[in-house]
Amino acid sequence: MDRLRAIAVIAKGVLLEAIRRKDVYAIVLICCGLIGLTMTVDFFDIEGLTKFYREIALKLMDTFTAVAVILLASRQLPREFEQRTIYPLLARPIGRLTFLLGKIAGVCAAAGFCLGLFMAIFIAGITALGGGVGWPLFLQHVFLQMLQMLLLATACFVLSLLCSRDAALALAFLFYFTASLFSGLTVILYDFAGPAGRAGLWLLTYAVPQLDLLDLSEKAVHIEIWPPLGWGTMAALAAYALAYSLALLAIAHALFRRRPL
Amino acid sequence: MNTMIHVEGLKVTYGRGAHRVPAVQDVTFDVGEGECVGFIGANGAGKSTTMKALMGFLYADAGVATVCGHPAGAPEGRRSVGYLPEVAVYYPFMKARELLELYGTLGGMSRRDLRARIPEVLEEVGLPGRGNELLRTFSKGMQQRLGIAQALVARPRLLVLDEVSSGLDPLGRHDLRILLHRLKSNGCTLFFSSHELSEVESLCNRILMIDRGRIIREIAQRDLQAIGHERSLESFFISVVRGEAPRHG
Repeated sequence: MDRLRAIAVIAKGVLLEAIRRKDVYAIVLICCGLIGLTMTVDFFDIEGLTKFYREIALKLMDTFTAVAVILLASRQLPREFEQRTIYPLLARPIGRLTFLLGKIAGVCAAAGFCLGLFMAIFIAGITALGGGVGWPLFLQHVFLQMLQMLLLATACFVLSLLCSRDAALALAFLFYFTASLFSGLTVILYDFAGPAGRAGLWLLTYAVPQLDLLDLSEKAVHIEIWPPLGWGTMAALAAYALAYSLALLAIAHALFRRRPL
Repeated sequence: MNTMIHVEGLKVTYGRGAHRVPAVQDVTFDVGEGECVGFIGANGAGKSTTMKALMGFLYADAGVATVCGHPAGAPEGRRSVGYLPEVAVYYPFMKARELLELYGTLGGMSRRDLRARIPEVLEEVGLPGRGNELLRTFSKGMQQRLGIAQALVARPRLLVLDEVSSGLDPLGRHDLRILLHRLKSNGCTLFFSSHELSEVESLCNRILMIDRGRIIREIAQRDLQAIGHERSLESFFISVVRGEAPRHG
């Protein structure tokens, strides 16, 4: 059968899970509450308030989407193994790579669904405050966030094939929340490290994807200072995210293709 | 008669290194087109392992296994196969119709075919009109019926059913027997394991007995009838496993 059709139907199942299990709604509700609180802050002038709102709302939007993606992606394969639903799926004329691609596509669709909801809330809030969205940078930010979620999802699949569901969840959260700390530390430590340390840091920088590179939230807050990124930079960032996602997908496939079920 | 399943010298082990445990050893058998073959044995005897190896979920350490003329696990071979795993819990967030749509689409069915097929197959397994109910509301027996429906949905030529009557009440087992009889008379090849030996006895042309990973006895239908005159398949099975009756014959 057509591989694309198989990927789409498996992805639809993951999206249905994200929508019906209601964790996404809980995440959206908490995020909305926090964004709503931000709008009530009254120690800024109107310009300061919109900037504060933009900063907090974008940070919450990105973080909560990542939380939803990690929760959904890390439990996909362990749940299939535990409840034995993987057997009737792989008993069909589809390969294991198609199955993995379908699952990852489903998690990305769920991430898109979350980001879509958050975007609507963000835009409604900023309009209510009388501020501008700064569309070009905002859309670039959303695009790179989607790529970041693809990278995060494939990393979660690799982790869930290497260790238990709980360990995969813990490692994925650590990876996401320490990403910017890690990037900053690497730069600082490099100047003080010896040759071996420098080589190690250099290796780490290239071995671990730098999620920070795909985060334009700081720029999207200060739209009056930052112009939108050029096409070349966007293409390079997209290529960076896709290259790491493909590498992680290859690792996941290598771990999964001959795994006894 | 075409061979639907061919297994020769199959060996599957679990674990690694010094902890390797053989689950199936030197298993050899064939299942021809249109045959109904029962696979019986105690828990842990190697029934599920053999079936998983046939479906490509486990890899053989030695031997050959082909399904519909293709190596076990090849997607081409699975095109004509319906498989029921031993005790699966289907996605609780899905409706029965959505689950069958998922499996049917992966089985290569068009949306139009599925629209007609889903109510039909739900009726066949005794779940008429339950297509729009969420699976979290389904009992264990209903889940098993749905499991049989997913195996049947793409109209397979070969059915591999692991513990087919598990979780079914007496009425469910009765309905299942009628369904399997109908599939058999329609020319579908059946290879199934069950602890309900009366069901196996009434349905099968041939029975394979497995114990500690090895086929210990193969009984053809004429021998089955002879056994039936003397004693039940169950008591015969127990005496073979305990070594009171000959293992190969």
